[in-house]
Amino acid sequence: MIYLLLPAFILLLLVYGAPMLHYLWMSFHANSVLTGLMPEFNGGANWVRIVSDGRFWQDAIQTGRFAVVSVGVEFILAVAIAILLDQRWRGRGTVRAVTLIPWALPTTVMALGWRWIFNSPYGPLNQLTDLVGIETLNILSNPSISWIATVIGDVWKTTPFMALILLAGLQSIPKDLYEAFKLEGGGNWLCLRDVTLPLLQPYIAIALIFRLAQAFGVFDLIQVMTGGGPASSTESLSLYAYLNAMRFLDFGYSATLVVASFVLLTLVCATVWIIAGQWQQINQKFGRS
Amino acid sequence: MKFMQLRRTTTTLLIVLLVVMTWLGLKTALASQTVDVKVLMPAPFADATKPLVDQFNQEHHGHIRLSVVKGPLETEAISDLAISSLLLGNPPFDALLMDVTWVPKYAKAGWLQPLDQWFEKAEFEQLAKGVQPGNEFEGQIVRWPFVASMGLLYWRTDLMDSPPRTPDELVNISKQLQADQKVPWGYVWQGRQYEGLSCVYLEMIHGFGGIWYDPSTGTIGLDQKPGLAAANWLTNLIKDGISPQAVANFAEAESLQSFKMGESAFMRNWPYAWAELQKEDSSVKGKVAVTTMVATSEENSAATLGSWGLSILNGTKHADETATAIRFLTSQSAQRTLAMSHGYTPTSTELFNDPELLTINPILPELSIALNHAIARPETPLYAQISDALQRNLNSSLTGESPSNQSMQETEISTEYIIKSAGGRR
Repeated sequence: MIYLLLPAFILLLLVYGAPMLHYLWMSFHANSVLTGLMPEFNGGANWVRIVSDGRFWQDAIQTGRFAVVSVGVEFILAVAIAILLDQRWRGRGTVRAVTLIPWALPTTVMALGWRWIFNSPYGPLNQLTDLVGIETLNILSNPSISWIATVIGDVWKTTPFMALILLAGLQSIPKDLYEAFKLEGGGNWLCLRDVTLPLLQPYIAIALIFRLAQAFGVFDLIQVMTGGGPASSTESLSLYAYLNAMRFLDFGYSATLVVASFVLLTLVCATVWIIAGQWQQINQKFGRS
Repeated sequence: MKFMQLRRTTTTLLIVLLVVMTWLGLKTALASQTVDVKVLMPAPFADATKPLVDQFNQEHHGHIRLSVVKGPLETEAISDLAISSLLLGNPPFDALLMDVTWVPKYAKAGWLQPLDQWFEKAEFEQLAKGVQPGNEFEGQIVRWPFVASMGLLYWRTDLMDSPPRTPDELVNISKQLQADQKVPWGYVWQGRQYEGLSCVYLEMIHGFGGIWYDPSTGTIGLDQKPGLAAANWLTNLIKDGISPQAVANFAEAESLQSFKMGESAFMRNWPYAWAELQKEDSSVKGKVAVTTMVATSEENSAATLGSWGLSILNGTKHADETATAIRFLTSQSAQRTLAMSHGYTPTSTELFNDPELLTINPILPELSIALNHAIARPETPLYAQISDALQRNLNSSLTGESPSNQSMQETEISTEYIIKSAGGRR
């Protein structure tokens, strides 16, 4: 019956495999404005350059930091929101719908909104700090903290998505399991640790991998909110690849950046997958699930 | 009888119809002779040229309809917009207002139409020396200068009799003024990691007798004596407290703000700053003069060339009409209008002696001198990358993250890699 998978497999190959191979091929060529935008084999010059390119490594660290922190915060918030939305209470339907609004908004629109909120000296945040009497934060022009602003924007935007996946997971947990646990005298925290989270594990793994992959490739949010600045402190790998292609007209190096970030992302996702698998095994060993 | 009447009415109607249709047809035919010419410009230029565009459209009524597409405010955003449409093949614009640093990149990509058909190289002779470079590519004219601009040293006439001519003099005067508590800071400039920093550095590396990068020979001068000296001098300005720490994050606006409030004895900026300093809210109104950047006694001072010019994009169907529009917008009378209304620096040598302009803009003679010292940034299609490498490393030296010598060595290595991986020489 495996051949029934063939159409899907071919589609994946065409949509993902072919471009990836093309990019891999491009990464071994000079294809820039100097070559008249035509590919010319240049050995491993692009790869030699990427290894010693401080900006690439800085962007890789920044992208990783952005992805891990924002997905981490989103995860904690999403678990809380999902559990809240899973309870029975009046007005739950309305709140469920309202929660989804940030996720439904186009990123560009909401990124512009956040840029305005963080604007100094005219944004609401600045007025708030003025009101309280603390010093202006200047968050979008301070290279050491501006990345936090982008994390806030991302968390606000994508927490609903994660909460939605986790909510679906919660609803698949049979209610009698909770009742049995309570009968045996388990408290709420133990219940969360020993029943809810282990049973939610496959959903958590999916949600984390989806979000990590998305956050790792973040482009629009950063482009609109900070443009990668100040001093390229918020620049993500995809933004750097975009700059190389669109502003520097160096498609060979841009392709190299894309392939390199693809490899990095694969490593990150594989690590998450393996850790999630280990966790499941540990849980099974202790008979928690 | 009735039949005859009907026939006559019908005939009349038909004739009226015929006349109307002919008239409409003629009108459409005439209207279709009007050619639409679209020029993409950054928003401030689009606003400034509005009256000129109206004048042009009146003069060419029925033949050419010029419209200026108002692009984004930021220089790089304009370039991104233009490049996106150029990469797709058919740009919706006939001409583009181009920064001087874009020219080699656009020309090498084959997006610019040579202008030799409409403009002659001899005409460059009527323009100031400083606006002549940066308009040609591989021997052909690809851009015609629209506004001139160059780096200047602003100094306070109330604090000294004559401006410093060498880097050491600038440092010494600043130290003295700071010790006497006349000003909190000696010198404000552009140290943020962006294009302005490259302009500041270019002036200093030439002032110390070096070059940044020469595409024709492949020489990189960053890790050589003048290159290191320039980086070191700038870094020490901050280290020794002559420039505030915040200069490492200053662009033009911040430097201007600080100088305007009387907080500094010197400022590096472009000609536009003059008008700002003469406004009512300026604490230094009437106490400011301009000169060229400092240089060591053996060297000539250098002013980074930063001009805008108009190019015809390949793929336009109305190259002739677009050239007519460019001819008009860059004409001496148009330059005069823009200099009167917006203080734009003219490109034509003659206008620098125009009595009426001199009353509005008394620094024109100094601007003319500075234009003779103008130095173009490296004219290579890879300029954006190599400038980016410089800004990045130099800024980390200014913020004290790495020693200036090391940052220049790293810039030189990055520059080599960039040229190599893009398929250039070496």
